[in-house]
Amino acid sequence: MVEVKNVSLSINGKYILKDVNFEIKKGSFAAIVGPNGAGKTTLLKIITALLKPSSGWVKIDGVEPEKYLRRRRGIVGYLPQKAIVNWNLPLTVLDVVFIQDVKPFGFFRRYSDEMLKLANHWLGVFGIGNKKDELIKNLSGGEQQRVSLVRCMVGKPELLILDEPNTAVDAVYNVRMYEILRKISRKLGITIIMVTHDIGVITEFVDEVMCLNVKLHCHGKPSEIDLSRMLNTVYGESFGLLLHREQCKNCMFGVRDDKTSD
Amino acid sequence: MIKLLIDATLVGLFLSIPLSFFSYFIVMRKMTFAGVGIAHATFGGIALGFLLGLNSFVFPLLFCMVSSVFIGYMYKKGGFSEDSIIDVVFVFSMALGIFIFSMAKGYSGNIIGLLFGDILSVSDRDVVYSFFVSSLALLFILYFFSHFHLITFNEDLARINGVKVDFLYYMFWLVLSVLIVFSIKLIGIILVNAFLVLPALVGLNTSKGFKGVIVFGVFSSLLALIGGVLFSYYLNTPTGATIVLLFFLLWLASFAFRFNT
Repeated sequence: MVEVKNVSLSINGKYILKDVNFEIKKGSFAAIVGPNGAGKTTLLKIITALLKPSSGWVKIDGVEPEKYLRRRRGIVGYLPQKAIVNWNLPLTVLDVVFIQDVKPFGFFRRYSDEMLKLANHWLGVFGIGNKKDELIKNLSGGEQQRVSLVRCMVGKPELLILDEPNTAVDAVYNVRMYEILRKISRKLGITIIMVTHDIGVITEFVDEVMCLNVKLHCHGKPSEIDLSRMLNTVYGESFGLLLHREQCKNCMFGVRDDKTSD
Repeated sequence: MIKLLIDATLVGLFLSIPLSFFSYFIVMRKMTFAGVGIAHATFGGIALGFLLGLNSFVFPLLFCMVSSVFIGYMYKKGGFSEDSIIDVVFVFSMALGIFIFSMAKGYSGNIIGLLFGDILSVSDRDVVYSFFVSSLALLFILYFFSHFHLITFNEDLARINGVKVDFLYYMFWLVLSVLIVFSIKLIGIILVNAFLVLPALVGLNTSKGFKGVIVFGVFSSLLALIGGVLFSYYLNTPTGATIVLLFFLLWLASFAFRFNT
């Protein structure tokens, strides 16, 4: 589905990304982890044609990202970092859900029954069905992120690109959100590439983990790679990794009871 | 005099509707200083036109449009902050205007009219041009309204969804430049920025949703313009200053409704 080949990006002689290679199959749920400034967001921007690599190429479904995006609007559901979104617009949740459905003379638009049905479905899935008429700026940060996920889903995407979707999401909903995303990838066959710092929890939910710090240091199933060692390499210092496993009965939302956990 | 009042009111009516739509995006994008910069660029344009003996709106319009594209280009490609470039254009245009007018004796009497608006300067031609310019500007902002909404929400998201962000960014400032040039005769260079900020602020006080914000913005603009023109005529006060003072009072009054929404 997504093929990244020898991708490098340098600015003023400094590498942001260097020789990044990977392939993600259709319907896979992949997480990119790495320290701040590792090039994670840059990589997402190259995949979505927002940036051009200095060398190498990206293909989605066998074509360049620009061509893929032109197939239809909403084919890529993109969730940017929360901090660069303007949440102060006087828009209702429903307005935000359909904000990317740009149309000529959109000032006069009304939402069709079909659109409302679709929005209601996904707002319900993400647990904010009762918020659709509220102003987006009055929602909590975590709820705003959930609205963004609904916005991605109403576009009927084939690929979800999520840049830290769990920002401002509380610990309880964090796990729930990953569960929903896993279901979305498995049941609907939607490919998900997600940047996150939530290393302890995501290994339980994703199919693939990529450790990035300018170069791609690891890529594989969470069970097949020595994540602790790789993360020590990526983060450049001793890294105590606390994994959240299903068999860890006393683990709650990534918080471990040291006496009983694995 | 009555005809002048009617002409001025018509120009105000035509211009205030698209300006209120632009005001919404300017306030929401926190770019209110850009209006000041573009408006002041007109001063340099008028002075240059005067120096070259071209007494028409074409030269200030061109000067304004070039300034807005320059601001946009330096911001997008030059890596400078928008505010710093606007400030440079602002001071350059004002300095150029004052420099040229200081050498040309006999024109200084009209500078006050340029800066604060002059109801007597509105002609039949201005009414006709304002109608066409406003209609085109309104058509433009209405056609691309949801595009600008998405750009204001998040530019990356707009690009991914096929919106030509850079093209629309430049078009926004070009169309706004035209509106500003035509508004200056009524409101003046210094005060035209009131119409780029106050409509949205009144709307935000009196309405929750974006449509209400814009509709209330349009109504407040119309009220301020028509009321200001009439007051300035009967009180013999500067048109622009009277309009803006009335607009300021409307904004203060809008706080009374804020607590009910």
